[in-house]
Parts: sequence; C-alpha cells; structure tokens
Amino acid sequence: EDAVPKQKLEIDNQVALERIRQTIQLDPSLPWTETLVVTYPQKIEVDVNDDLNRELAFYKQALHSAQSAHSLSIKHKFPFTRPSDYFAEMVKSDSHMERIRQRLLNETAGIKKSE
Amino acid sequence: DVDQDPPAAKRLKNKQRVLLLSSRGITHRMRHLMNDLEVLLPHVKRDSKLDSKNHLHLLPELADLNNCNNTLYFEARRHEDLYLWAAKTPNGPSVKMHVQNVHTMDELKMTGNCLKGSRGLVSFDSAFDDTEWGRLVKELFTHIFGVPATARKAKPFVDHILTFSLLDSKIWFRNFQIIEKDPLQPSGPPQMSLVEIGPRFVLTPIRIFEGAFHGATVYSNPEFISPAAVRSLQRREKGDKYNYRKD
Repeated sequence: EDAVPKQKLEIDNQVALERIRQTIQLDPSLPWTETLVVTYPQKIEVDVNDDLNRELAFYKQALHSAQSAHSLSIKHKFPFTRPSDYFAEMVKSDSHMERIRQRLLNETAGIKKSE
Repeated sequence: DVDQDPPAAKRLKNKQRVLLLSSRGITHRMRHLMNDLEVLLPHVKRDSKLDSKNHLHLLPELADLNNCNNTLYFEARRHEDLYLWAAKTPNGPSVKMHVQNVHTMDELKMTGNCLKGSRGLVSFDSAFDDTEWGRLVKELFTHIFGVPATARKAKPFVDHILTFSLLDSKIWFRNFQIIEKDPLQPSGPPQMSLVEIGPRFVLTPIRIFEGAFHGATVYSNPEFISPAAVRSLQRREKGDKYNYRKD
C-alpha cells in the first residue's frame, strides 16, 4: 500500500509569463550604471552534491562577471574602485572581523599542533 | 538668459524601493538572514512582522504606504520552514520560493567584508535566459536586488557582487567581495580576486502568480515537494524499518 505520489498539475503559461515580463521590464535604454546587472555567458553545470566544484563554479561566475563589470564601468566612466583613503561603515563590524581573524588563527594553530 | 540650456534630455532613472518584512514565528536564523539582506541593500525599507498569514492582500497596501514598489516577504511555517515571496507591488507578478541552506553573515566562516550601502553588482548565469519563467525571475530580481543609483544610503563605489545561479532547478545565492589588488604584492599588476562575504541561501521556485500575492498561477514547479511531505516520508521510512524488524 505504497502511497502513490500525486501527480501534480504542471503550469507553465509561457504566453502569460512573457506578457507579465514585458509589463514590468525596465526601459532598455536605461544606462548600465543604473542596474549594474551582468550576465554570465555560461551555464553552471556541475554535480550539485560536489561542494568543492560547485562553489568553484559560483566563484568563476562571480569573477567573470566582476571583470566584465569592471571593463563596462570604465566604458561608462563609472567609479568602481574605492580610493584607499575613503573610509565608511562596513557591513561587518570591526569586532566581528576580529572574531573571524581569531578563529582563523586558532585553526592554523590547531593544525600546527597536530603536525 | 537664465534658461539657456533646456533641461538636458531627461535622464532615465531606475527607481526601486523594496519593502522587507516577515511573518510571525521566524527563528533567529531567519531573522539574521533578513538583517543581512537589509544591510546589503540600501534601498530596502524594513517593516514589522505581519500578523496574519492569511491576509497577504494587505501587503501591496503596506508597500504603497512605505512608497515601495517591490516587496520581499519571508514567511515562516512551523517554526522551521521558510518561504520567500518576491513581488512587484501593486500589480504583480509575485514569485513564491522555498528557502533552504541558509548561512548568515554572522557565521565566522566567511572572511569578506564590504562597505555598508555600496551598490553591489548583480550577476545571473545564462540558464536564466533559457526558460520563460527564468527570464521573469531575472527581471524581478534585477529590480529587487539591483541597488538603484538614487538610493539614499548608497555609496558611490562597487566592492561586492551578488550572484544568482540556476543549478538543479534551484536558484543559488552567493555574495562576494571584490578585491582588486593582491594583498601580497600591493604594487604588482592589479589582479582581481574574490572573497565570500555571505549570506548564502538556495531558493526553489514554487509558483509564480500574476498579481501581487494573489491572482492566477502562471507557473508552478512540478518537482517541488513540500518540506512537510519530505519529513513525513522520512518518518514513514523509519517506521517501516521498525515494523520490518519487529515482524
């Protein structure tokens, strides 16, 4: 008396999806600097359960996108790099970063000890 | 002679504001994830928890009161399952997604850091362009996660990148810091590298509705199994094992 998996109704209304997308679409003449969106020309095709390669694929995507964004920003004369004398509040506080550093130090110390 | 230059052809602007709120019953981890998003997206307006899970039609009104044209609504169920609604208000569409594998910025594994309120790049992989629902989600996420230049708290530089990747028909989110100089040889040639900042999460799209938090379903994911069903299946398997041993 295995429970028969209920066949779910699949809905994929292409016409409606496209129409909706067109109603919300941003003006295509909008300069790139307004959205800062980049598309990676490749697909991520790795084994989902292979953590290392999966994260590597994400890293590659991000790196490629960041580099193309950098060249785009030069083209648009858009300030990209933060000058080294520009300081402002960061997302993670100093005390948080200190805790991360401490943890890293502890880890390396632990590895050394076990060697 | 005052009006010598006619107002220069009106510069088009990307105007987006996002209302961020949750339902009652979210756990600490979900709350931290929301804090992370709030800190990363300077055009987000946080609101207090929504009282009722059955009155989602209040949300477009609430967004309107806050001058927001997008809404991110986190819905917690049974104190363990988290769903994310991403919607354009007031006219839709809205996407309901299941959130899994949450790692917040507070965890100490990720060493990256970025300016608070700097505008992040948003990167999509090309798989989004293959399906019609993918294109719609990409457009929607462009509005919600792309920080407009006019955001009040936005900083003028770019130092992090949000990536969305489609893998295993799920949307994987990562956030990296962009480092343009090699810290080991600061005078060497600029070589870009990345360090992860966090948070991490995986979104499984469940349904796309035509309106904002209501309306006809235009897409439903046939592969989605609700987390409660998964758990009950696991429990049943365990029970079967016991019964088998007992007999």
